[in-house]
Amino acid sequence: MKLGNVITLTLLTGVLFSLSIFAQENLTGRKIIENVYYRPTGDDSKSDLTMTLINSRGDERVREIQQFSKDFGEEEKNIMFFLSPADVRNTSFMNWSYEEEGRDDDQWIYLPALKKTKRISSDSKSDYFMGSDFTYDDLGDRHPSEDTHKLLREETFGGEECYVVESIPIEDDYMYSRTITWIIKDKWIGLKKEFYDEDDEHLKNLTVEKYDKIDGYWVITHSVMHNIQKDHKTIMILKNVNINTGLDDGMFTERMMKRGI
Amino acid sequence: MKCPKNIHMIRSLAVLIFIAALTLLFLDRMLKNSRMETDLDEYMPYDHPAFVFSDQAEKLFDIKDGILIAIENKNGIYNSGTLKKIKDITKKLQKTEEINKDDVTSLYTAENIMGTETGLDVKDFYNKVPQDEEKLNQLREDVRNNEMVFKRIVSENEQISLIVAEIEDDVFSLEFYHRILDLAKSYEGPEKLYVAGVPIVEGTLAYLGPKDMQIMVPIVIAVIILVLYFVLRSVRNTILTLLVVLLSTIWAFGLMAMFGIPIYSVSTMIPVMLIAIGVADGIHLYSHLDLFLFEHPGANKLEAVKDMLKEMWKPVVMTSVTTAVGFISLLSSDVYPIKYFGVFTSFGVMMAMVFSLVLIPAGIMVFGLPKRKAHKEKSKEDNGKLAYSFADWTVKFKWIVISITGIIVIISVIGINKVWINSSFLEKFEKDSDIVQTDDFINQHFGGTNTINVILDSENNDAFKQPEVQRIIDEMQNDVESIDVVGNSFSLADYLKRMNKVMHGDDETYNVIPDSRDLIAQYLLLYEMSGDPDNLWKVVDYDYRQANVNIQLKSDNSKEINRAIAAIEKYRDDFEKVSVNINYAGSGYKALVFTDLILEGQIQSLLLSVVIIIVLLSLMFKKIKIGFIGAIPIVITAIISFGLMGLLDIALSTTTALISSIAVGIGIDYAVHFIERYKIYALESGDKNITIKETMHHSGRAIIFNAIVVIAGFLVLLFSVFPPNRSLGALVSLNMFTSFLGTVTIMFLVLYKSDTYFKKKRNNNED
Repeated sequence: MKLGNVITLTLLTGVLFSLSIFAQENLTGRKIIENVYYRPTGDDSKSDLTMTLINSRGDERVREIQQFSKDFGEEEKNIMFFLSPADVRNTSFMNWSYEEEGRDDDQWIYLPALKKTKRISSDSKSDYFMGSDFTYDDLGDRHPSEDTHKLLREETFGGEECYVVESIPIEDDYMYSRTITWIIKDKWIGLKKEFYDEDDEHLKNLTVEKYDKIDGYWVITHSVMHNIQKDHKTIMILKNVNINTGLDDGMFTERMMKRGI
Repeated sequence: MKCPKNIHMIRSLAVLIFIAALTLLFLDRMLKNSRMETDLDEYMPYDHPAFVFSDQAEKLFDIKDGILIAIENKNGIYNSGTLKKIKDITKKLQKTEEINKDDVTSLYTAENIMGTETGLDVKDFYNKVPQDEEKLNQLREDVRNNEMVFKRIVSENEQISLIVAEIEDDVFSLEFYHRILDLAKSYEGPEKLYVAGVPIVEGTLAYLGPKDMQIMVPIVIAVIILVLYFVLRSVRNTILTLLVVLLSTIWAFGLMAMFGIPIYSVSTMIPVMLIAIGVADGIHLYSHLDLFLFEHPGANKLEAVKDMLKEMWKPVVMTSVTTAVGFISLLSSDVYPIKYFGVFTSFGVMMAMVFSLVLIPAGIMVFGLPKRKAHKEKSKEDNGKLAYSFADWTVKFKWIVISITGIIVIISVIGINKVWINSSFLEKFEKDSDIVQTDDFINQHFGGTNTINVILDSENNDAFKQPEVQRIIDEMQNDVESIDVVGNSFSLADYLKRMNKVMHGDDETYNVIPDSRDLIAQYLLLYEMSGDPDNLWKVVDYDYRQANVNIQLKSDNSKEINRAIAAIEKYRDDFEKVSVNINYAGSGYKALVFTDLILEGQIQSLLLSVVIIIVLLSLMFKKIKIGFIGAIPIVITAIISFGLMGLLDIALSTTTALISSIAVGIGIDYAVHFIERYKIYALESGDKNITIKETMHHSGRAIIFNAIVVIAGFLVLLFSVFPPNRSLGALVSLNMFTSFLGTVTIMFLVLYKSDTYFKKKRNNNED
């Protein structure tokens, strides 16, 4: 699992491929999705994430997290520290994901009240990310080769020229039967995504409310995932985004997890 | 002479046609618009605080009743065949339209949070069905080490596994149940499959009662026809009397359909009431006619009808009005189906009165006087011999009668103190029925098929992250689980203990509530990150202000539920010290409250109707004394009825509690007819001795006929396959009998001793 891609899609950090602008005419669905997936994200990044969870009764829970990530080529490392609520402050979570096919991510959690770092292993890609409505896959971890993609049409959406691509998983048992993504033509940013569950019923909507160009990369700074069936929402807002600040390799260690912010 | 006769004929025919036309209209409405209401929740008084609270909690914590499918393999479940079946059944249930995908729990969907040397492992128990020995053994080990699954989803002997599908209240239908049964059946061999759970018990019950009634009511009616014929000795009279009952029933249900009120299961009691009461009017009328013809052998039908109406309209109207008012008192109930029951029975009773006073005379006018089987040679003395001697005997041995009554009443009052209420649905089924057997089987191996939810709430956010609060919850759970009927309990405390243990390398000594609030918060965060957070929201709310403790019970018997509640209540003070309140929720608890409410309402309306009846009788007979005397049979019937239930350990339930209304309805009939006759004879003869004899002969006869007819009819219900209908039959019969006996013995004696209608007469004479 590439938690770096948490940032990839939450940030959806990206540069415009000058090539792609010219190649637009004959793009296949697969190519469009690959362009989104491989959009450069910078070597490292640092940001403050505010995650607001809202249930069907309108109850809200807010979590503030400071996160760091760095691309090491074959692997991508990511570390996040909880700033609030107070009782989980300095709880930290580290994820190493690997390019190597079939290799599971390594994950660690540090609980300050326990003063211990523990490795976590999980076998489910469809796990929800920290109780939110995003699965790790939704956050950009799903490789384009895992689905077949079809360009449905091109249309204007939210004032942007978009490709509308349908992706159907190759694997039988996957939690979605298909997804439909609206991708901004010249930016390779998914502006909206519809998720359909195993029974092909509309499950979730991802909408991007705001994206900015930061340090030369496109970053989605405000997105909302709405689980329609449960009427549960997650709002993710990024602030203080810094890209390519030259983060130290030693940032991504168990020792740093314990030290906290 | 011929002309007026024809006019009478035409008028009578017109009336008959008019009634027939209206009946057809009602019948049409009834057939087109009637619908059964089988969802028991529809009975609940939604605005009652306990229900409002429970409904809120059910919504907050997604509390639903579950259908349980147990799969049993005598060779153990850890083989690829059985595990595949568990997976397939789970998936099929998830695809069933009535079931939400997330509401199916089984070994296949359960998550396994495990501790390892270095950390934490969150996995499905299995995804692809394990094939080789090693993987099967690993699965067995995983289950054994996870107390959140072991003995909850997999039985201790490892031969049975549960698949639970929670459904909404309104989803159940017989068709759905049979689909689930068929689904389960299709996976049989070598495994055995069982289907149980609260929705099935409740749902089946809601269908079974009325269905059994559909079979039994025709037999009841057949027996009543037979006995009625035996009593009235005329086919025509029998048919007309039955017609009164039938028409009033159709009108009552037709009116219900017109108002769009569904047929609740208590509504099936309406025909029961109308049979018992409607038959009475006919019997009294014909009985009077009979005596009149006996005394005036040469009278023609017009004279006979005129005399019958003149003499009898008053008692018929009085009995009907008092009975109807008695049923109207059910409006004081909190429960809408019971209110409707009261109103429409009242309406039916009034219609039965109208039909009796219209149809029976019209019938005689159209079809002529009933032909009587020949036994006219008997003298009047002979004819009334039994009644006369009964009257004499009762007066002669009055002290014996009074003391026996006294003793019975005292014993009954003792019995009343033992009366208890049972809201159990399961106990309404035969002990050897499939439903009860399956339920027993699952209860033997798992925590229990019934649940009550203890809802804890606090004013403060994060209250349930405090170790001291969690420790009380844990202690309470241990305490409650020590009661034998409680199989299991489940709360946030279980998650915390599990996380604490897992984070300490699965060390059993850490299977306790963590000491620090921060650690609890961090475990919860970790659980949200690694497990399915939706599981957490079933035991705690978003702000950690409210928590839900599930207590699983192996019985839905009210005594047992109350024992569990008593054990929980012991912790109320401890919880209060940490500013936490205890409340309850869930269908089992609502049923408990509901039954209490029904009983409370029944007793209230019973008392109210006795008061109303005393007032009405006092007004009708213009004597307060008569009001009280007339209430005697009702009070005695009610006391004996409840007393016997207490002594025989028959619990009060929604059906049995309603039967007290019959006591009122019937008791008042007997009393009014008897007193009215007594008054007539007393004023006529002025002789106490003649009065009692003639009253006993006239009214006593009609009363006993009425009692015999209805008792015979309802005794048929003793052969019902549905236990609640059996108790209904027994109790109605008993009530008819005590009402009858109370009227002709103790009430008669009190009336006799009171000298009512004689003093006045004597005074008048002296004047």
